[in-house]
Amino acid sequence: MMPEPEIKLDSMNTDRMTVIMGPQHPFSHGLWTLKVEVDGEIVTDAEPIIGYLHRGWEKECENRTYPKIIPMADRLCYSASMTWSHIYCMTVEKALDVDIPDKAKYLRIVADEICRIQSHLMWLAAVGTDLGNLTVFLWAMREREFFLDLNVRLCGARMTTNYPRIGGVRNDTTEYFDRDCMRCVERFEKRLWDIIALVDDSSVFVSRMQGISRLTREQVANLGVTGPAMRGCGVDFDIRRDDPYDGYDEMDFEVPVLKEGDTYARYMVRIEEMFQSCEIIRQAMKKIQDMPRSAPYRLKVPSAVPEGTHFARLEDPRGESLMYLISDGTDKPYRLKVRSPIFVNVSAAKPMVQGCRIADVPAVMAMVDMCLGETDR
Amino acid sequence: MAMKYLDKYPKDTAKGLWVVKPMWTVMKLFAKVIPRRSMTIMYPYEKEWIPDNYRGRPGLQFDKCVGCGLCARMCPTACICLVETTDDEGKKVKRPQVNLGRCMMCGYCAEYCPVDAMTVTPEIELAEYTREDLIYGPRRLRFEGVNEMMEVHIEEHLISNVQKGILDQPTSAFEVDRPVLEEAKCIGCQKCFKVCPVGAIEMYEAGVNEKGKPKKIPRIDTDKCICCKNCVDDCPKSCLHIKEVL
Ligand code: SF4
Ligand code: SF4
Repeated sequence: MMPEPEIKLDSMNTDRMTVIMGPQHPFSHGLWTLKVEVDGEIVTDAEPIIGYLHRGWEKECENRTYPKIIPMADRLCYSASMTWSHIYCMTVEKALDVDIPDKAKYLRIVADEICRIQSHLMWLAAVGTDLGNLTVFLWAMREREFFLDLNVRLCGARMTTNYPRIGGVRNDTTEYFDRDCMRCVERFEKRLWDIIALVDDSSVFVSRMQGISRLTREQVANLGVTGPAMRGCGVDFDIRRDDPYDGYDEMDFEVPVLKEGDTYARYMVRIEEMFQSCEIIRQAMKKIQDMPRSAPYRLKVPSAVPEGTHFARLEDPRGESLMYLISDGTDKPYRLKVRSPIFVNVSAAKPMVQGCRIADVPAVMAMVDMCLGETDR
Repeated sequence: MAMKYLDKYPKDTAKGLWVVKPMWTVMKLFAKVIPRRSMTIMYPYEKEWIPDNYRGRPGLQFDKCVGCGLCARMCPTACICLVETTDDEGKKVKRPQVNLGRCMMCGYCAEYCPVDAMTVTPEIELAEYTREDLIYGPRRLRFEGVNEMMEVHIEEHLISNVQKGILDQPTSAFEVDRPVLEEAKCIGCQKCFKVCPVGAIEMYEAGVNEKGKPKKIPRIDTDKCICCKNCVDDCPKSCLHIKEVL
């Protein structure tokens, strides 16, 4: 392939034009708008517009008792439902100062990683359609189905899991879950190579991702980008490893970090994360199997939370998510604030797409893995 | 631990790709995939197997329910309300009615039912022609073939027990939390007595009130009580509160 000629913005004397991409646009997965200013084919400016999906989530929580918020937290993001309800429970547990049993920790890890894999597969499917390869979409969705079935075995629902509880998890593993989980992970590791071959050996795909939308370490840090997008730019940080919560310190896994900082690096980081998640599931399942069946997995917690402010954070499939809770001693939160990783990541849209061609915008923004439920709340 | 994908794939693949390689990959994958069995089903004629613990619509075991209303209070979308109905013997009873148009299948009603009358069911085909049809009355909520898997139990451990090392006594709020009475505040209105769904409250004579009339105060039978908090909610003087065992 020919090396990309360097693009000089000033040399081209074409008319500026504003293109509104969204809110209903094939590239915007969800309701949001990217207002791009183009100079010929080159993007010179971009402004994300969000807020179409605002439903007053944080205010809603203020008149619900603590357990009732867990199913609502699921609905912040349909493909990362488990991590959102997990972080909500973690925040309340911090406020109550309870230490959950080991079995609950491992069960949460298993559910979290299943959630991470299926969320990344959902993203891979979206990338496939964005870049014009329907086979990737179909295959990724097919593999995802197995993890959704695992969710059903574990907690009875496919996507909105409602699995963690304040003080533990909803239920113990059901019969055959261990067997199904191991089989599913093993099978997935083999099948993922098929999808990788489809993407990585295709010059159509790779040339649309490689070398596009480079961000530097400094830019990423200043913009507050987190998650795979950050690790693809050479920042070696993962909350699971660097600020471990709920038993992640006992897991042995690698954090993929790439220095390139382009779209392709963000893709590669996510693919490697799926493999590492499989490894974590295996280790956590091993620990659960070593425990007696009757080991406690849920603690009885008081219904009222003492006064105070607390926060907890965890590694969402999309980045760092955080919940900040102000409790006033009653059984309802006074204020619950959500820090959504996508809200911050999408604000980096301008440096990401600046200088790209307009046809590359879907490829670049697909790597943000948009989810509007949590962005607009 | 090693990277599985990053170690294997070079980072500058694009340069090494020319038109034959993708073709070759596609042919290879085609040959690999074509013998595999189909992943889709002919939906209305074939149905997928659904495990029993699937959280479909809520189901009710009419005879087991005591009409405590805990499900109605626990439901995050407030789609349950208690309605008056008659049971098989013609007695007037209260039973839950669910508006499935609002139900989000969270399974809380099944989980927080103290007598396991509410269950989750694997029924997912719920489309109707009108909104009224989506409101399921207590009789219609019944589900044939309820089994152990569909009843969701709460198995909590007390924090004090775990600290002491007792790990084999799962319990739940319905078994240990009980209402306690502040006798001085009670005016003997008997509201709690009337509202208790299991008849765990009996009123007994306890002295006289300030006007010199005999006063009755409630006594709570802790074995019968299921901790539904109806008496706590209905007490006009707020003299009952739940004592949580931790
Ligand atoms: S919680 Fe159970 S017993 Fe109480 S009204 Fe609901 S179904 Fe009936
Ligand atoms: S499943 Fe959830 S939303 Fe539906 S009736 Fe039960 S508690 Fe309400």
